[in-house]
Amino acid sequence: MVELVWDPIVVTTAILLGSLVAYIILMIGHKITKPRLTPEKLKTYACGEELKPEETHMDSEQFFSPIRRIFRPFYRYIQPAHTGVLSTYLLWVVVGFIIIVIIIMLTVR
Amino acid sequence: MIPQAPILAIVVPLFSAFLMPMIGLLSKRYNIDRACDWFAVAAMVGTLIVVASMAPTVWGGQIIVYKFGDWSPPWGINLAIDALSIQMALMIAGLGTLVMVYSVAYMQRDSRRDLFYTLALLVITGMMGTILTGDIFNFYVFLEIMSVASYALIAFRRDSSGIEAGLKYLFIGSLGTSFVLLSIAMLYSFVGSLNIADLGAKLAIYRGAAQPVPTILVASLALFVTGIMIKVAMVPFHIWLPDAFTAAPTAVSALLAGPAAVVGIYWVARLPYLPFGLPVGIILVSLGLLSMIVGVLMALTQRDFKRMLAYHVISQKGYMVLGIGLGTLGSVLGAQGGLFHLLNHSIYKSMLFMCAGAVLYRTGSQKFEELGGLGKNMPLTALTFLIGSLAISGIPPLNGFVSKYTIYLGGIEAGLPIVTIIAVLVSALTFASFFKAFSSVFLGQRPKHLRDIQEAPKLMLFPMLAMAVVCIVIGLFPALGFNVVGPAQAAAENSAGYIGHVIGGI
Repeated sequence: MVELVWDPIVVTTAILLGSLVAYIILMIGHKITKPRLTPEKLKTYACGEELKPEETHMDSEQFFSPIRRIFRPFYRYIQPAHTGVLSTYLLWVVVGFIIIVIIIMLTVR
Repeated sequence: MIPQAPILAIVVPLFSAFLMPMIGLLSKRYNIDRACDWFAVAAMVGTLIVVASMAPTVWGGQIIVYKFGDWSPPWGINLAIDALSIQMALMIAGLGTLVMVYSVAYMQRDSRRDLFYTLALLVITGMMGTILTGDIFNFYVFLEIMSVASYALIAFRRDSSGIEAGLKYLFIGSLGTSFVLLSIAMLYSFVGSLNIADLGAKLAIYRGAAQPVPTILVASLALFVTGIMIKVAMVPFHIWLPDAFTAAPTAVSALLAGPAAVVGIYWVARLPYLPFGLPVGIILVSLGLLSMIVGVLMALTQRDFKRMLAYHVISQKGYMVLGIGLGTLGSVLGAQGGLFHLLNHSIYKSMLFMCAGAVLYRTGSQKFEELGGLGKNMPLTALTFLIGSLAISGIPPLNGFVSKYTIYLGGIEAGLPIVTIIAVLVSALTFASFFKAFSSVFLGQRPKHLRDIQEAPKLMLFPMLAMAVVCIVIGLFPALGFNVVGPAQAAAENSAGYIGHVIGGI
């Protein structure tokens, strides 16, 4: 038997205290090394090319490209299978139904 | 308890739906703006009060059996309300009320709001009926009421994407309800009854290995499971959901993601015990795991705000079905975690859709590439979205963590630690996905044309903030949730008690 060990108040207090300590460290760091910000420093670096804010938006489909590489078979076969074609989707339902029939026949008999 | 409360929980939204066109005509005649909106909110508050009045009786250990025309079951039709039904009814009424309040502001720019509220109240009627009825044919009737009203709501704005999504849901959803109807016909031909308790009593001989299960019962169970799984949108039956939730007005998406999710999961929780009582645990665990993985991996690469949330609905419902499936394999924590996750997910997913709706309402876009830096313009929307994102990712101390943690423990308790590992990994991917969404919409550089965007209207913010507070409160005091889902899980498993209360014992 697994025991449920979870005290939300203690954990929340710990999270808040941790956040406070992190904030204090950050503030101390800012005091020691004062940042000297200039507009040039805040610009997105693009090899000297001027970019509008709209153009700096990352491609949301490629945002996690390493994850896409890890799950390559999924993104190569399963994602393209979501064609939007209704007849294909109805076929999925029929195939799913057949699998459910097989599993039930194997488990109840 | 309010007298006649069980039937009033269905009648109040039903008659309000029928009255709505008349309210619409009167509001036009006397030029009363928002009369339909506030009438719908009042109808939902009334429904909530009626449902809440039944809760103390049910949580006191009783099952309320309401007999139509005083005909005793199984001869007469009845409503049967146990702790599982009351959890679902409270969620539908509570979340439905908040969605209606949100709709007052969100649907303001639409014409024919009387039609919108008529359909929304019919969806609520259908949901209430499916979870309160003690008759399996009435369950089908209410399921159709809910489904047909949902198809129309998805295509409410009559734009091409809405009509296409509505038609897809119509075809696939109709196939699901046809499966359910065929299953009920088979059950009736085999058992000769439509009363759920009576069916449970007569099919009890097939539990265990004492009697071979007849082929007609296997076919009936398979059809019923498939029909319910289409409604729950488990992979591979999920394909209607992303289109429907993306194209529908966001108030409808919030209604379908929160309250409507309850109906399918209610039957997933009921199914292993009543009316069939046959083992479906392996199917539930398999479909749950598959849906969790496929849903989150699909969500990771979406460019559309609402479509990403829609894929997460599939993934999170996978957690619920997995938890309930683990419950049938002997894990009490799994079953409680599944029902708890339903409670939590309905709250924060409705809230997340409302946040997406608020952004769409103000900016006119739901594409990640066209948004950015809106945290400065819409700080409260950003805050509620952040709370919802952390909750759905299972980050402590929010409510999503508690239910997910219980499911993780359920996996270990059932002797399937691999399930726990997969569930934790899916949570990490969920967090990654919401990190992208939050940074795309609320952080980063703000496009010039979004510079003058204002915060969402107060009537939209109120339900979002209320849900955010509930997410924090349940996270800090999980006993509040366990006090509801504990009796619900016990009631789901206590088929003998249900049968005893409804028809006087096996």
